[in-house]
Amino acid sequence: MPVPFDVQHINDETRLTIRGSLDINSAPALAEEIDKIVATRPTTVTVDLSSLDLIDSSGVAALVKLYKGVRSAGGAIAIAGARDQPLAIFKLLRMDKVFNL
Amino acid sequence: MAATIRISVPGTLRYRPIAVRAVAEAARLVSASSPRDPKNPTIDPLAHDVRHPFDTAVVSAFMEIFNNIAIHAYQRKGGGTIEIEITPSKDAIVIEVKDDGRPFDIDDVAPLPTELDEETLPEGGMGIHIAKTMLDEMTYAPGPPNLWRLCKRLPATQISVGRS
Repeated sequence: MPVPFDVQHINDETRLTIRGSLDINSAPALAEEIDKIVATRPTTVTVDLSSLDLIDSSGVAALVKLYKGVRSAGGAIAIAGARDQPLAIFKLLRMDKVFNL
Repeated sequence: MAATIRISVPGTLRYRPIAVRAVAEAARLVSASSPRDPKNPTIDPLAHDVRHPFDTAVVSAFMEIFNNIAIHAYQRKGGGTIEIEITPSKDAIVIEVKDDGRPFDIDDVAPLPTELDEETLPEGGMGIHIAKTMLDEMTYAPGPPNLWRLCKRLPATQISVGRS
């Protein structure tokens, strides 16, 4: 199964695009990438979820880790594009308000 | 449409996509939602088109229960099976999930923080909360065998009369 994410660094911005299914099988690989992103202390991180079809609690945990890591290092993070099942999960967990979805 | 679909998979996460796909298709039998446009495939052939709220609820809940069994009951070691019985009807779906792993204490699951902000965002313990909230009924009987029973009903306004 292809890795469902890619990372681009454009000027001062880090762009993370996540596709397909972010779940207990794919989240560990993303968590490793998140560690690398956070270690660079990025000033701006943008997460594009418009191609994300499914998420479970493991995927949510990975995104929370990214959010907290970037914010605690003083960076800004924007999570955008959530739709369908992933958006329903964020709303159920009341994270849509925190993430400004 | 009250036939029961029975699937038995090894109790590891490797077999999760197969079980999730079966549940997603069974949910679609009840909701009568359409599949994804084949001209617009996703990169993951097992990523299901889960847009209908009924499908969303059923699939989201099942994924968490499967995770729970593979991680907690079988402790990521496998060694047992997960028996799944899916019964779709015209207005509901019932899923029974059975395993022979370690029993789970559902009362140990902490509630989500009442006030959610940057500091209190949880990084775990969300799975059972998701499943319980998404479903109309969820019961768990510790064993072995441990038995989860999940039920989701279609809202009355969405039940199609005469659908086969």
